[in-house]
Amino acid sequence: MTLYAGSIAEERRAASLPKRTGLKRIFDRNIHAYLFLLPWLIGFFGLTLGPALVSLYLSFTNYDLLQSPDWVGAANYVRIATSDPKFAAAMQVTFTYVLLSVPLKLAFALLVALAFNRGIKGLTLYRAIFYLPSLLGSSVAIAVLWRQLFASDGLINMLLWRAFGYEGPSWISNPDYSIYTLVILSVWQFGSPMIIFLAGLRQIPQDMYEAAEIDGAGKLRQFLRITLPLLTPVIFFNAVIQTIDAFKAFTPAFIISEGTGGPINSTLFYTLYLYQEAFGFFRMGYASALAWILVIIISLFTAFSFLSAKYWVHYDD
Amino acid sequence: MSVMLQRRAVLTAGLAAFSLAALGGGRAFAQAIRLRMLWWGSQERADRTNKAIEAYKKIKPDLTIAGEFAGWSDYWPRLATQVAGRNAPDLIQMDYRYIFEYARRGALAPLDDYLGKGLNIADFGTMNIDSGRVDGKLYGINLGVNSSALMFDGAAWEKTGATPPSQVKTWEEFAENTAKFGTNKPKPGYYATADASGLEPALECWLRQQGKSLYTPDGKIGYDAADAGKWFAMWAKMRESGGCVPADIQALDQLNIETNALTTGKAATAFAHSNQFVGYQALNKAKLSLAAYPRISADSVSGHYLKPSMLLSVAKDSKGIADAVGFIDFLVATPEGVDILGVERGVPASSSMRDQLATKLDGVSKSMVQFIADITPGVGDLPPAPPPGAGEFAFVLKRIAEEVAFKRITPEEGGSRLVQDADNVIKRK
Amino acid sequence: MTDAVTASRPGQMPQRSPLKSVLLHAALIAASFAMLYPILWMLSGSLRPQDELFGSTSLIPSSLDLGGYIRGWTGLQVSFGRFFWNSFVISVLATVGNVMGCSLAAFAFARLRFGGRNFWFALMLGTLMLPYHVVLIPQYILFLELGWVNTPLPLIVPKYLATDAFFIFLMVQFFRGIPRELDEAAVMDGCSPFRIYWKIMLPLSLPVLATAAIFSFIWTWDDFFGPLIYLNDINTYTVQLGLRSFVDSTGSSDWTALFAMSNLSLVPVFLFFLFFQRLLIEGIATTGMKR
Repeated sequence: MTLYAGSIAEERRAASLPKRTGLKRIFDRNIHAYLFLLPWLIGFFGLTLGPALVSLYLSFTNYDLLQSPDWVGAANYVRIATSDPKFAAAMQVTFTYVLLSVPLKLAFALLVALAFNRGIKGLTLYRAIFYLPSLLGSSVAIAVLWRQLFASDGLINMLLWRAFGYEGPSWISNPDYSIYTLVILSVWQFGSPMIIFLAGLRQIPQDMYEAAEIDGAGKLRQFLRITLPLLTPVIFFNAVIQTIDAFKAFTPAFIISEGTGGPINSTLFYTLYLYQEAFGFFRMGYASALAWILVIIISLFTAFSFLSAKYWVHYDD
Repeated sequence: MSVMLQRRAVLTAGLAAFSLAALGGGRAFAQAIRLRMLWWGSQERADRTNKAIEAYKKIKPDLTIAGEFAGWSDYWPRLATQVAGRNAPDLIQMDYRYIFEYARRGALAPLDDYLGKGLNIADFGTMNIDSGRVDGKLYGINLGVNSSALMFDGAAWEKTGATPPSQVKTWEEFAENTAKFGTNKPKPGYYATADASGLEPALECWLRQQGKSLYTPDGKIGYDAADAGKWFAMWAKMRESGGCVPADIQALDQLNIETNALTTGKAATAFAHSNQFVGYQALNKAKLSLAAYPRISADSVSGHYLKPSMLLSVAKDSKGIADAVGFIDFLVATPEGVDILGVERGVPASSSMRDQLATKLDGVSKSMVQFIADITPGVGDLPPAPPPGAGEFAFVLKRIAEEVAFKRITPEEGGSRLVQDADNVIKRK
Repeated sequence: MTDAVTASRPGQMPQRSPLKSVLLHAALIAASFAMLYPILWMLSGSLRPQDELFGSTSLIPSSLDLGGYIRGWTGLQVSFGRFFWNSFVISVLATVGNVMGCSLAAFAFARLRFGGRNFWFALMLGTLMLPYHVVLIPQYILFLELGWVNTPLPLIVPKYLATDAFFIFLMVQFFRGIPRELDEAAVMDGCSPFRIYWKIMLPLSLPVLATAAIFSFIWTWDDFFGPLIYLNDINTYTVQLGLRSFVDSTGSSDWTALFAMSNLSLVPVFLFFLFFQRLLIEGIATTGMKR
C-alpha cells in the first residue's frame, strides 16, 4: 500500500533528478532523517508501543484489573463476533454518528472558513466567537446546557412552538432522536477543522489569484481551479482526522446518559461501551479486544482514504 | 504484562515480607508512617475529612495521612488504575455495590482480627457490621447508615387533593393518588412521581415485600418473569394514568440529584437514598419530606434494609493496616471524629454516637436521622450477597424498563427479558 | 488586525454594496448569537440562585449573586489561583513540547527520503487509532516504575517525544504544501537538513505552527482524564480537576461555583486563542512574500 498520497509522482520526480547518490549519501540521508525522527522514535518505543502490545496481549485474556490476566485464546473475539448484542448496538450508534457528523462538520467548517477568508470587517472577532463552542469541549456545563436546549420544555421546542405551533418531543432523551442531538453538538463545535481550513487557505499563494484574475477567471472558476485543488491536502487531513475522532467519540455520551449509553443504548458509543466493560464491569481483557476491533475498522477506513487520495489530493511537492 | 504484573506483585510482597521480618512485626514503619486515603465526594466532605485527619494527627503525631478525592464518576477509574498498578491507597472509601468486586478479587484487607481490638464497633449492631462483610469476612466499615427513601414536595401533593406518599400504605394506593395528582395537576408537564421502574433498589424493595429477593443465597435470580412483568405493568399503568412522568422525561434522569425529575421540576416525588436528602433539599426550592416506600399490602414487611451509604476499607497491600484501622475507629467510634464528619456521609452506625450527634444537627440533617430511626424497627435482614457480575444488572434493568416505557415491548415481554438478561449477566465470567 | 488582513490580500477584498454588507453582518451576528448562547447561559448560571439552575431556560436570573465566584475561588481547600497556575505551567510546557517534537518528526516525514518511511508513517498513524482507555493501565504502570506518578511529568514529557500523532500528521500535510524548489535550492547551496528545517520550513509554516500551538494549549487545558489519573495531590490539581471537585453526583454539589469557575477557566484559553490567531495572520504576510 502506498501510504503517501501522490508519492508515486514524487518517486518519479526523484528518479528524474540527477543521480547524486552513492552509498554514503544514502547513509547520510537516513542518518539525518532518523535524527529528526529520534524524539518520536523514543516516544513510540518507550511510551506507546509497549502499552499497545500489552493491550493486544490482554485482548486474549480475562483480566479484571486486580488479579493477573488469564489466557483465554480468541474467546473474547469469538464472543464479540457471535454473541454480543451490545457490540451490535454500539456499532450502529457509532456508524450513524460517524457518517452524519463528519461530512456535516467538515462542510460547515469549510463554508465558514471560506467566508472568513474574504476580508470581512471584524473578522478577528467573528472568528473567535465561532471558535468559542469548541473551547468548551465537553465540560460539565455543556452537558447541562444541552439538556436545557433539547429537553421537552427546552429552548428548541419553545422556538418550534412559537414559530410553527409544533409541540416537539424531548429530543435528547428519546431513543429515536437522541443521537442526532449529539451530531448537532459535534457540528456546532466545528472550530478545529475551521481553523485548520483557514490555515490551509492562508497558505495558498496570493499571486495565483492575481494571475487568474488577469486571465479573466471569475470567482467560481478561481475557487474550482485554485482554492479547491490546493486545499485538498487539508481537506484530506480533516476528513481522516475527523473520521478517526468520530469513531473514538467518548465524552458526548456522558452528556445524555452520564455514561450509561441510554436511553435503550441509543447513545452507546463504541468507546463508551469499551470503557464500561473495562472500568465498570472489570473486563479489561474484553475491552482490549473491543479496542483492537475498533483499530481494525478505523484502519480500513483510513487505508481506503489514503488509497483514494491518489486520485484527488494535490500536493505541491 | 502478566510477567510485569506478577513481578510487581512479587516485588511488593517480597519487600513487605522483608521489612516485616527485618524489623519484627507489623509496626515496621511505626516511626514515620504515611498513609494515603482516597474518597469521592464534594468539597464539604473533603473539608470534614481533612479536619478529621488534622484532629487525629494530634492523637497520633507519628502518623501522616494524605487525603485525595475525586467526584463519583471520576473516582472508579482512578481507583481501578491505582489498584491495578499496585499503588492502591491505604484507606479506600468503598461503595456497597463495588465492595464485592474489590474484596473478591483480593484487593482489600479483611479486618475481622481487629474487631474489639482497636476497632470498637460492637454497638453498630449486627446488620451494620455485616453490611461490610463479603463472603463472611469484614472488608469495610460502615461510614453512614442509609436506606432507600422517597423524597417529595408535600405541598404540591396536597394542592392537588391527593394523599402524599408519607400517608399512603400500599403501592395500589400510591398509584391511585398519583392518578389523582395527574388529573388535578397544577401545571402541564408536571407529574406526581418520577418513574422508578428502572431503579434497582426500588425493584429490590418491592420484591422483598413479597418475600422474594433479587438473588437467592446460592447466587440465582430470586424472582420470575411474571414478578418482573407485574412490576413493569404497575409502572405502565401509572404512566398511562398520567401520574408518573412519561418515558422521555424519565430518560433525562442520569441517576443523580441534579437530573432527577423532582429537581428539574417535572415531578413531585423522587426515589432516592436517605443520605441524599441534604443534596436534594439544596437544589429544590420547595420544602421536601422523606417517606418509606409504599408496601405491597398494608400488613406486609417494609422491604427496607439498612445499608451503608459508603464504607471505609483498607488495601490489602497497605503497609499500615493497623494504623489505618486506628484512624477508622477514630472516625466512627469516637465522639470527636463522629462530630467532625457529622451526617455528611450518612447517619452514624453506632447508636451511642448517633444519639450524641443528633442534638447538634440542623433541621434537614435531623429529619434524615429521624427517618433512619423511624424505619429501623421494621427493616429486614440484609439481602444475600449478589453473585459475581451482578454489578451490570442495574444497567440491564434500566434499559429494559426504558424499552417498556417507550412501548417497544409490553410489560410482560419486559418481565421475561429481564429474567433472561439478568441470568446471562451473572452467568458470564 | 482586520486592516492587516485587508492589506495583505488586495485581490480578495470584495467591493460589496452597503446593503449586501449589512445583510452579511446581520447573518454573522445572528450566527454569533447561536455560538455565544452557551457562554451567556453559563454566565447567567454563575449568577443565579442554585435552585433555579435546572428548571429554567431563560438567560435572565431572578436575582444576581456574585457569591459563586467567591465560593468558587476560595471554596476548595486550595485556592483556584493555584489550579490556574498548575494548568498554565502544564499547558505551556506541553505546547512547546508538542510543537517542537512534532515538527521535527513531521519534517522528516514530509521532506526527507529514507528507508522505511512508509512503514513508520503507517505506525505513526496507527497510534491515533487505539482508544486511550486500554493503554491507560500499562502506561500508568510504566510511569509508576519511572516514579513519575503524582508529578506533572506524564502529562508533559510525552509531548516532547511527539506522542500525539495528530500534530505530526497535521504538520506533514502543511509542510508538503510548501514548494519544494525552496529547499532544493537550499540543498544546492549546501544547507544541512537542520538548517532547512529551521530557516525555511518553520518560518514558512507559521500558520500551521500557530494552529498546532492553539490546539495543544486548549486540549491540554481541557484535558481531565490524564490529570485525574496522574495527579493525586490537590496542590497539583489542574483547573479541570478543580472544576470537577465542585460536583458530586451522589451528594451535594455547588453548581453556581462550578459555573462561575467554568467561566473563569475559559478566559486563559480564549486569550491564548486571540493572541495566537494574530500569528495566523502574520503567517499570511510571510507566505505572501515567499515568491
